[in-house]
Amino acid sequence: MNKVKQKDLILYSGLIILGLAAPFLFSAFKVQLTYLCVLIVLAMTWNLQGGEMGYNTFGNILFYGLGMYLTASVQVGMFFPLAEWTESGGEKTFVHTTAQYFQGIGVGLLVSAIVPAIVAGAIGYAILGLRGHYFAICTLGLGIAAGEIAGGIEIIGAGQGFTTPPFPAEIVDTEARGKFFYFLSFALLIGTFVFVKYIYGSRFRLILNAIRDNEDKAEAMGIQTMKYKIVGWMCSAFFCGLAGGIMGGLIGYIDSTDVAFDGREMGVFMVLMAILGGKGTLWGPVIGATLFHFFKEGLWTLILGWQYVALGVLIVVIVVYFPEGLMGWLREKYPERFGEVIDEKDRKAQVELK
Amino acid sequence: MNKLVKLFITSISAITLALVSFTSSFAKVEGDYIVLGSAISLTGKYSSNGVHTQNGYNMAVDRINKMGGVEVQGKKYKFEIIYYDDESNPKRAAQLAERLIKQDGVHYMLGPYSSGLTKAIAPVTEKYKIPMVEANGASRSLFTKGYKYLFAVLSPANQYLEVAIDLAVEKNGGKGVRIAQAFEQDAFSQDVRLGILDAAKRTGSEIIIDDKLPKELNDMAATLAKVKATKPDVLVVSGHTKGALTAIRQISEMKVDVPMLAMTHCDAAKLSKQHGKKSEYALCASQWHKNLSYKDKFFGGGKKYAKDFQKEFGYDPPYQSAESSAALLVFKDAFERANSFDRDAVRDALVDTEMQTFYGNIKFGPGGQNVAKPMILFQVRCKGDDCENRVVAPTKWASDKFYHPIPKWSERS
Repeated sequence: MNKVKQKDLILYSGLIILGLAAPFLFSAFKVQLTYLCVLIVLAMTWNLQGGEMGYNTFGNILFYGLGMYLTASVQVGMFFPLAEWTESGGEKTFVHTTAQYFQGIGVGLLVSAIVPAIVAGAIGYAILGLRGHYFAICTLGLGIAAGEIAGGIEIIGAGQGFTTPPFPAEIVDTEARGKFFYFLSFALLIGTFVFVKYIYGSRFRLILNAIRDNEDKAEAMGIQTMKYKIVGWMCSAFFCGLAGGIMGGLIGYIDSTDVAFDGREMGVFMVLMAILGGKGTLWGPVIGATLFHFFKEGLWTLILGWQYVALGVLIVVIVVYFPEGLMGWLREKYPERFGEVIDEKDRKAQVELK
Repeated sequence: MNKLVKLFITSISAITLALVSFTSSFAKVEGDYIVLGSAISLTGKYSSNGVHTQNGYNMAVDRINKMGGVEVQGKKYKFEIIYYDDESNPKRAAQLAERLIKQDGVHYMLGPYSSGLTKAIAPVTEKYKIPMVEANGASRSLFTKGYKYLFAVLSPANQYLEVAIDLAVEKNGGKGVRIAQAFEQDAFSQDVRLGILDAAKRTGSEIIIDDKLPKELNDMAATLAKVKATKPDVLVVSGHTKGALTAIRQISEMKVDVPMLAMTHCDAAKLSKQHGKKSEYALCASQWHKNLSYKDKFFGGGKKYAKDFQKEFGYDPPYQSAESSAALLVFKDAFERANSFDRDAVRDALVDTEMQTFYGNIKFGPGGQNVAKPMILFQVRCKGDDCENRVVAPTKWASDKFYHPIPKWSERS
């Protein structure tokens, strides 16, 4: 037991050091690394519902977009009139001072974590009674509806989009912005990972699994499934909101359907990444998101115009050859490395029987 | 578990090595080439206009390179462009701008297609102090953010259809008109809408229908049904290429009678070819038309440009291509005046730009928008089945008289 822990320690400290050193080692790739952190967070939180609880949600993008708009709105609204900021005809130019910028984004991120969690609780109360594809379709509608609604609200820029505050000009170092957002997202990644790992060792996960495997039985055992489903979703929303807030600041421009409530891309990617890596595992979404991001950044530009065809092929390959994801595939191939004991005699006996 | 960890660590270090070796960035000027970068929509909802833009850039690069290139400090350089596909997505565009600057080492940028994407890229180029000459981001809000490295060769979006409202009021004997309008929910179209609101206020006109259309729009029947019922004097529609095509298709299907129809993006949609007589009398805002009499030494005039473009790409150039070509001419001019590859020197030279191109006069205002060139309006007119865009306003360039009101569908053959 101790030995395993030591190994874990080496692995984790190695990864953290790599994460801390990454923006200096690959200075030019900071933005991509920030994306990677956010993608992993999205995949891991999706996995809580899709993998552990068996509820395939397309609605997590709602919290992501909500977080994005909230952070930016708070960051602007704390110091300037929001309506004048977003009105494109406004000839006034507002500039955040350095202190205002960081205070704003700090408070903004706080709000963008709490509000989506509350929204998740409210919506969850209403729709988590649905099961299977009814739930999936219902959540699919959430993201689309949110995009259309946001596109009609004038105070957050409506169809014009919302330009988030530029990084303070007083900081001369052009690398500072990239580093700031990278470390923010890296901190979020660590926070999310620690939280999910904690859940993996808790009774909460067993309850989620019970819901996935047989919800009626779980209920018959005396578990208040509704309560746990809602809490699970609120946890995901908390981290998705933060991820959205960071992305909004990084991208610098929020568009209702293409950036914030981007169900067609981010909403699908988070599902795809979790499945690619192996849903229902701790490391699956991490590995899936990393591979996916490398695939996307590496190949995307080489096959200009055909990238979505390639993505389609990738989805087909994953679903046909790795239905359990990479982790599931590895687990099937090398079960002993996952701590599964195989009775050799029994296995041979089964083979002979065939 | 042990082996798995080892495998994991090995693969991470392999990736690390690979990335480190990649990080060495290229220079802004490689040998005889000045490298420009651009993220363009080759896929997604702006793909057709993205290709128009790219064709415009390529046409100008070929022409300038063929005619001797750019002379800086006595040496001749050629232009080269690195393209990425931004998938018509602002998030992707911002990321690619970062990539062009940080990984490909690009020091001068050309704009993407559409206001939304330009809005996403501008904060990035601004942060790294990269001069960007853009030809397809017209939204007014681009020019009120105090950007110092953004230069647009086109007129701002709110000017697109203001003239049309003035025309309608003029035809109405100076009295205000009743306006029905429908705009796509994107940065550009919403800005056109603001222009109309201003014009309506100025002329005392009344807006009776003010609809928003979804992105990727393929249907506006609900708006048209309202138009049929309320009979406004003017119908204004803006929603890029798809908006123009959808409007004409459904107006002709539903036989909506309206005295005046004003739109944007008619030439990018090749309206007169695609819909022929159905599109007749539509009034369109345009940045450029081949019949204008501007001239420069690279492309000659508009007619010659159109002919060469037709030969190269097989279709008549929409204004999106023309303005994109003009962006390269601006860059060439600025490099030669700066006589240096220093970014700030080039930026200062861009500020002082004052030139005529086949596309129009170019002089940048304090926000970076082109203040030297008016918008024009043309109307689709047909002879038999052969339809053409004719310039009707402003009067200086007008080749034809504005036809008003549009005859009813029952009277059209």
